[in-house]
Amino acid sequence: MSEQNPYSGNTFIEFFITMMIRLYAFITGNLSFENLASDEIQMIVLIGVSASSAMVGTFLILRRMTMLANSLSHTILLGIVIAFLFTKDSVLPNEAGYAEPINIQAMMLASLCMGIVTTFLTEFLTKTVRLQEDASTGLVFTTLFALGIILVTLLTRNAHIGTEVVMGNVDALHLDDCKLIFIILLVNTALFFLFFKEFKITTFDSGLSRALGISTVFYNYLLMVQVSLTTIGAFRAVGVLMVLSFITGPALIARFLTDHLGKMLLLSVLIGSLASLLGVAISRHILSVYGIALSTSGIVVSTISGLFIAGVLYKKYQQYRGRQGIAKSLT
Amino acid sequence: MNSFQSPFIFFTDAVLRAPTIGCMLMCLTASLVGVIVFLRKQSLLGESLSHAAYPGVVIGVMIAGFFKLSDEDQSLIALLIMVLAFFSSLIGLWSIHWLSRKMKIKTDSALCFILSSFFGIGLTLASQVQFSYSSLYRQIQAYLYGQAATMTDVHIYIYGFFSLLIITVICSFYKEIQVMTFDRDYAKCIGVKIKPIDTLIFILIALAVVIGIRSVGVVLMSAMLIAPPVAARQFTNKLYLVFILSGIFGMISGFLGNYLSVELNTALAIKYPGDRLIIPTGPMIVMVASFICLVSLCFAPQRGWFLRIIRIGRFRYRCISENLLKAILRFCHTNELDGISFEKIEKYQSLSPFRLRYLLFRLCKNGWLEKTESGSYKLTKDGKVRAEKIIRLHRLWEVYLVNYLGIGAERVHRNAEEMEHIITPELEAELTLLLKDPKQDPHHQPIPPREIF
Repeated sequence: MSEQNPYSGNTFIEFFITMMIRLYAFITGNLSFENLASDEIQMIVLIGVSASSAMVGTFLILRRMTMLANSLSHTILLGIVIAFLFTKDSVLPNEAGYAEPINIQAMMLASLCMGIVTTFLTEFLTKTVRLQEDASTGLVFTTLFALGIILVTLLTRNAHIGTEVVMGNVDALHLDDCKLIFIILLVNTALFFLFFKEFKITTFDSGLSRALGISTVFYNYLLMVQVSLTTIGAFRAVGVLMVLSFITGPALIARFLTDHLGKMLLLSVLIGSLASLLGVAISRHILSVYGIALSTSGIVVSTISGLFIAGVLYKKYQQYRGRQGIAKSLT
Repeated sequence: MNSFQSPFIFFTDAVLRAPTIGCMLMCLTASLVGVIVFLRKQSLLGESLSHAAYPGVVIGVMIAGFFKLSDEDQSLIALLIMVLAFFSSLIGLWSIHWLSRKMKIKTDSALCFILSSFFGIGLTLASQVQFSYSSLYRQIQAYLYGQAATMTDVHIYIYGFFSLLIITVICSFYKEIQVMTFDRDYAKCIGVKIKPIDTLIFILIALAVVIGIRSVGVVLMSAMLIAPPVAARQFTNKLYLVFILSGIFGMISGFLGNYLSVELNTALAIKYPGDRLIIPTGPMIVMVASFICLVSLCFAPQRGWFLRIIRIGRFRYRCISENLLKAILRFCHTNELDGISFEKIEKYQSLSPFRLRYLLFRLCKNGWLEKTESGSYKLTKDGKVRAEKIIRLHRLWEVYLVNYLGIGAERVHRNAEEMEHIITPELEAELTLLLKDPKQDPHHQPIPPREIF
């Protein structure tokens, strides 16, 4: 990015005006991919992350499996470290703070393995060793995460390096991240599109799915693999912990608004994307007006929380209206 | 290589003392409180609470920065952070409850959402601190992954006080906690005030989390609430023993984690002098705790996984060999033969030939079978007695099922097939007495008489 960032100094409203102008320029072909400003890359990556995680999150919430997503988001760190060990590409930011290009295949493979290993270990502890479910989930992910942190600190020779992995760093993103996250988004969308019926049935009626010969276990594992894919796509941008907010938040808000699965999927994707857009804009606004550089991903998560509170208020208002309606019909 | 320092130095040395004792205290409280959480099947609550404490930590540091507290006011900063972290995690706890009760959100989603959004808000604030009070940012980092090494005696006094508080509260409300954990309705009936005790327990959890995040860190705190109680539960069924064992396991992991991390660091520093390789303390403590937990999950007497497998394997072996004896007896009886060839046995048993040969070998070795010169197998006197006993138990049970439980005679065989391996001599005596020593089973087969020694 040789030229100056067109967004610098923009306030909240100006940000969107600039974005529209740039978007128009992009559509008319006056702007190429190489000229994207860092804000735009952030936006694209965050929207990709939130769309991906909102879809996955919808099913996780309905299946009551979010805590497994929590453990996956932790154990993925070990997967990242192992991928790093095998490829020797600097997947992790080095001391200079910037990472070298990502080895996409290795990352995909690592996420795949960790998704399966975590799910398998947790189920093994629950079913074979007969530990209660909450404890086995907690035990597996904390152990693997601790191992991951120890390896990260040893490999990168920096006691605080985990911060980057756990918190993400949107400022270090570049075009390769866009590619990665959109491949993941594509994979997720395709899978949900193709297996929508199967996911729906296994989520709501495991008895029926068994009768129809649809394996609940297989779709469980598939979903967990998707979660780990999403997490690995997100970790450089938002870190392995905050992606959980991207996964649960939009889907929960969408759940307030609708009872329909298809609508819920769509709404949660929209809400997630909206929050990412707003988050980047707010972050730029704060930087321009107050001169404080806040963590963009943190702001996006805060925005999701804000939207969630709005959702809660909406739901409360509806409940209130409903009660009033009943009172009116009684009188 | 240097020789490892004696563990005792860790309690006397002025620099090493604080982290060691601090870690041990923290692990002790966490594992005590963890027992309650574990038995209530809410182990993941700790995970959410520790993350929910993070904004409090950051705000504490911000206030410290605002009032320009310097590093000399360690105790004040530590206390400030603790109080705010405590309240922040209580707010998180309350939100989780409110969301799952009032908004009908599933508990796991609520836990997960609160965890991540509080953490996100904390990080946003932390980036502000990094920007405005960069000298204090280090403090926040210390709470994220835990930094035992920088603890001082001041921290020990603060954490020691609160640990003592937690232990006292648990001891004095032991009865209430016990009855509420296992039977809430009964507790309500006998007049235990559920709500205040619940609140008290939640306060304890939040307090333990807040004490712990300094040495193990926000991210790994929940491990200390889970691993020691799980390990302790493997060894005993008594609640007070679970508490004591869990506390001991917690202290051991606290000490060993700290010890190993310090020792390995010095060892690594000697081997690779230029690289400043560091093993963080918090994750090391967690690793030790998980290791203890895994070992006890596998090898604990009675509940351990390996021992259970061995027990199951033994029982299976007994069933198979008893069935084999029975089959041989029946074959010899109906065909009025003395022995039975290996091929014949193999034809009627669904075992692999190799396994069958091994089983027969074992039975011969135990003196229940003998191999004649023609290569066929023959029951010894002992074997005959044993086989007859099994048949007797089988048929006795069939009589019992038909006469006393009113089950149709054609449906009792399968159940008796299982029970014949389980019925103890005492039970046999009772059955004989109850059924007045019957001579025939429901299928009009003779019941072998009771063995007389």
